[in-house]
Amino acid sequence: MSITIRFFARFREMLGTDILVEHGDGLFLTDLIRNVASGNKEGVDAIFDEEGNFREYVILMRNRRRVDNRKASLVTASDGDEIAVFPPVAGG
Amino acid sequence: MLSPRELDRYKRQILLFGEEGQERLKKANLFIAGAGGLGSPIAIYLAVAGVGTITLADNDIVELTNLNRQILHDDVDIGKKKTVSAEEKLTALNPDITIRVIDQTIDENNAAQLVGKADGILDAMDNYPTRYVLNDTAIKKKIPFFHGAIRGLYGQATTVIPGKTACLRCIFPKAPPKEVFPVVGVTPGFIGMVQVTEALKYLVGTGDLLANRLFIWDGLTSHVEEIRLEQDPACPSCGIKPTKERTKI
Repeated sequence: MSITIRFFARFREMLGTDILVEHGDGLFLTDLIRNVASGNKEGVDAIFDEEGNFREYVILMRNRRRVDNRKASLVTASDGDEIAVFPPVAGG
Repeated sequence: MLSPRELDRYKRQILLFGEEGQERLKKANLFIAGAGGLGSPIAIYLAVAGVGTITLADNDIVELTNLNRQILHDDVDIGKKKTVSAEEKLTALNPDITIRVIDQTIDENNAAQLVGKADGILDAMDNYPTRYVLNDTAIKKKIPFFHGAIRGLYGQATTVIPGKTACLRCIFPKAPPKEVFPVVGVTPGFIGMVQVTEALKYLVGTGDLLANRLFIWDGLTSHVEEIRLEQDPACPSCGIKPTKERTKI
């Protein structure tokens, strides 16, 4: 199955965007994002905390619908999914 | 009733909004939270559009490092209160409207009083804790909250309509860590214009708002994107059962 990962803002600067992932069924969202980010320590550290969980402010969307990032380790990706990952932008 | 001078001043936008729409702008009262990067273009364009009463709150002093983006303030204003500088500029831009300035830091104790009877709040803050306070104030007063935020060449905007759309805390339940963010003036200029466009449409009653839509601007690649949003029933600010996490206002 193929899944598209879209990073935004600071995450995009570190990790790029529109990354197509080909994988077998049953991949959890947390593992999916960690695998994609794994080549970039700065990117991994920006998105995940020391325990490997999503940092609490990271926004995760699956097909433009919000996914609670605390439950992302229990949610599996499906073929054709578009997963968006972004931080809130704070400046003004 | 628009005066002959106002009919002339706003002639080109009356072609767009009609005299009735311009009357609505004249009767409106908007609260701008912050007179910095976003607050500057927001205040300027609300003023020249003829929004009748503009209240601008900021507690900072103009510094040299502000001047690459905070276009309400000039070199000669360094050291002045931003509210003083802003009032001078906005009054000069449009003496036919009322400018009120508030030289205070917005917090959960004074937000409701400072916003007063405003018809909407424009978010020109640089931090989430104050944004949450303003979001909750807008919900309590049942007035829209026009959110905008920027970093570098990247920005976001959405319009919160209490009772109808996701609120700021539905979208961003947790604040990101504080940082000294990079910024070039065009980004708050761009996002501020999106917020003002939203506010003007809301007041005039035309077009479609960024309701349940997060507008995302990536200036690095010149891409505009949009993410659909929905209200979180468990949101501590606007959910069915708001919890103690909601700011006390």
